[in-house]
Amino acid sequence: MSQRFPLPAARPPLAARFLADTAAVGEAIERFGSPLHVVFPQVMAENATALAGVLRRHGVPYDIFYAHKVNASAALLAEASAVGLGADVASAAELDRALAVGFALDRIEATGPKSPAFIKRIAGLGVTVNADDLWELDRLAAAAPAGSTVPVLLRLSGFASPAVPQSRFGIDLADADAALETVRRAPGLDLRGVAFHLDTADPAARVDALTESMAVVAAAHRKGLRPSVIDIGGGFRQRFVEDPEPFQRYAQALAAAGPGDLVWPGHDVGATAAHKYGNHRPATDVLERFLAAEIERRPVAEVLRECMLTLWIEPGKALVDHAGLTLASVLYRKRAAGHDLVVLDLSRNQVTPADQEVLLDPVLVDGRGDPPAEGVFLAGRLCLESDLVSRRKVFLESEPSSGDVLAFVNTAAYQMDLSASAAGGHPPPPKVAAVWDGERFAFVADDHHGS
Amino acid sequence: MRYDSVLDMIGDTPLLRLDPAAHGVPEAEIFLKLESANPFGSVKDRVAWGLLRDHIGTIVEEEQVVLEASSGNTAKALQIIASMHGVGFRAFTNRVRVREVREMLSLLGAEVTEMPGLSECPDPTAPNDVFGVIGDLMESEPGRYHHTSQYTNEDNLRTHYEQTGREIYRDAGPVDLLVGGLGTTGSTRGAATYLRERNPETAVVGVVAAEGDFIPGIRSAAEMWEVGLFEPGFYDAIAAVDSADAISASLELATRHGVLAGPTTGAAYAAARERLLSGPGGPATAVVVACDRMEPYLSYYRHRRPDLFGASRPASDEAAPSAAPEELEAWTAAGEHVVVVDVRTALAFQAGHIPGAINLRDDLLEQVMEAGMPFSEASRVVFVCPTGDRSARFAARAAATGRRAYNLEGGVLGWRDSGRPLAGV
Repeated sequence: MSQRFPLPAARPPLAARFLADTAAVGEAIERFGSPLHVVFPQVMAENATALAGVLRRHGVPYDIFYAHKVNASAALLAEASAVGLGADVASAAELDRALAVGFALDRIEATGPKSPAFIKRIAGLGVTVNADDLWELDRLAAAAPAGSTVPVLLRLSGFASPAVPQSRFGIDLADADAALETVRRAPGLDLRGVAFHLDTADPAARVDALTESMAVVAAAHRKGLRPSVIDIGGGFRQRFVEDPEPFQRYAQALAAAGPGDLVWPGHDVGATAAHKYGNHRPATDVLERFLAAEIERRPVAEVLRECMLTLWIEPGKALVDHAGLTLASVLYRKRAAGHDLVVLDLSRNQVTPADQEVLLDPVLVDGRGDPPAEGVFLAGRLCLESDLVSRRKVFLESEPSSGDVLAFVNTAAYQMDLSASAAGGHPPPPKVAAVWDGERFAFVADDHHGS
Repeated sequence: MRYDSVLDMIGDTPLLRLDPAAHGVPEAEIFLKLESANPFGSVKDRVAWGLLRDHIGTIVEEEQVVLEASSGNTAKALQIIASMHGVGFRAFTNRVRVREVREMLSLLGAEVTEMPGLSECPDPTAPNDVFGVIGDLMESEPGRYHHTSQYTNEDNLRTHYEQTGREIYRDAGPVDLLVGGLGTTGSTRGAATYLRERNPETAVVGVVAAEGDFIPGIRSAAEMWEVGLFEPGFYDAIAAVDSADAISASLELATRHGVLAGPTTGAAYAAARERLLSGPGGPATAVVVACDRMEPYLSYYRHRRPDLFGASRPASDEAAPSAAPEELEAWTAAGEHVVVVDVRTALAFQAGHIPGAINLRDDLLEQVMEAGMPFSEASRVVFVCPTGDRSARFAARAAATGRRAYNLEGGVLGWRDSGRPLAGV
């Protein structure tokens, strides 16, 4: 198979400017080494502004919490604080970082499963708790000092609508009454509202979950509680490509390909990621479609205003979309098992989330000349057959050779930290924040890496 | 002219030249392709028959049920053709948004499955879109159903290529500009392909609803890519028109040219004039597809332009007498009969309302009040909405008819935030 099936990534202005600036890339590698994760806090600010713009345009009272779990970067977290977002933290370490970059206690929300120690700590501090289970609520009720008003959101699940994906998180609707009762009796808790999070772009799913959640709001009112927040979580998606067409061509070619044509023998790149990487619609679109969807023939935005609820969202991926990339150097090229291989000074797990194949072609920095006729596989530096940075052929825009820098674009969401290990004595790549000052990129070492 | 079947009356529609003195674009000839003259009232008659003509024999023989994703004209035409042949038809849609269209479909006996919140066009990223539901249904009973698939079926294009485009060329000659609303995109693409074969310079403008706006039968700009037949490269321009302009233009067609066409045609006419006026000028032949008639959209016009329907001007909001929460509480405590009318949606009312309030949504209350004042002069009536801005006009109107009517200051939000209780259903 000699035909090319490239998967060109969307290249928003700042990332494109950086990759075109050979001197800046060179300086970053020179000062901080290779491989290197680069984050762009300015892009996060733009993403936050875009999401807030949709909410404002629809006239919905809102608050946005940055789901810090997507990236351990302190620079991105500090930017979230600087642009007025709240912080969604999922562990004691994430809470520490949020406090360290200056978030006020009332701008922090703790989500996800929590340990008894973490529960005690957040109850003592009085940060907002997004409760995942009755077990947590009981411990929280015991830990919250009488007379305090620790704000609590009940994360709900078990929705009846078939449009709503099942989830392992949250309090089943059948237990919502017991949860409300726990909050009502606790002398130190204050019911702030109800929450859910759906892993889908489907507006109908959020509409159904919202509608079912209102029964819990009604039940809360009956108990004399005063919920004022509906938190719909995140799930707003990233926009990896400009154009879905190459992706469709690739998917067709993949389906028709013989063994070893497009994928390294013995591996399956899977169809699940196609849904994710083929997306060309911006996160604002998911939010927009939800707010414009209808309940009782009236836009959701208006129904939310009528319900007198402040809409909270907790985007992670959408906020760091295109806010980072990963640089690695080409060690050498070789032929192996009849395939063209480019060996990098990077390990698969340091740029790949949960072993999920990344369906985007990397970019050769300062690449010249014609695109190679054939695709190449990308090999990692570990002594493992499975350490292929790309198990599928990638189609580069020019010929790679030893010493070249290859950029993996749009890696800020989960790709940098979720699975990164220090196997083989190779620590996860350091992070650096690149800030465009109008004339050049300035680099600031980013303290945290690894989760 | 004599016909032996109504199906023979589909197509071969008139091409009407608009009076240049009335359309006002210098040197331009603007023609309306009156698809509204089809027997069931729209351009979709061609599509419906085009999609079924070659299959209806088999469908009848195998007693299949016809399936289609449509909320309007296609569903209507398919239902009529299916009934004429004694076979069943089911339409799937996110929802039927125009009242007359909904009523017409039920009058004709169509079985419409509404899936609120879902897009009507295929959306490969949604696991449960309309096409997924149709696909599942077909798989559940193989051979039981026939899916006409107007969005992806090339017969849709072919029908407009072979008929609509050919007819336009026969009657107008070479065309410089073709403008039509984009629904399935079949009519503009099919007709334009034919016209461009005769005149490669034919410019094609597809008309969509402005972002966040709604014009029945056509998509909004954001929805376009979802349509299987849509090819952005095909069009010289995609024009976004808002509903106010579409309505004005359709009224102009009615009053100046005597053409009773719906809002989509208005949108296309507005886009055509805009393009001709902003272009280089000079002689030009433009054809606008008039896809259906005005009458099925009366409720749409009424909703967006109540002023055209002689709606009595409500008394100004400032004239609304208001009541503070404490007054309301005092009246109730004194044993007076007070009706608290909450004009929000049922969901909002269910989630939390002032104890004892009744729920009458604002648009329904509007209709009720048009018919007469439903409240007794013996009661005090207090209208509430989230903040007091929307309920004021009801209070003013009720007060103007002699009721002791009030608008609750600060609305339900003010009530809640002052620490007063809410009831949930």
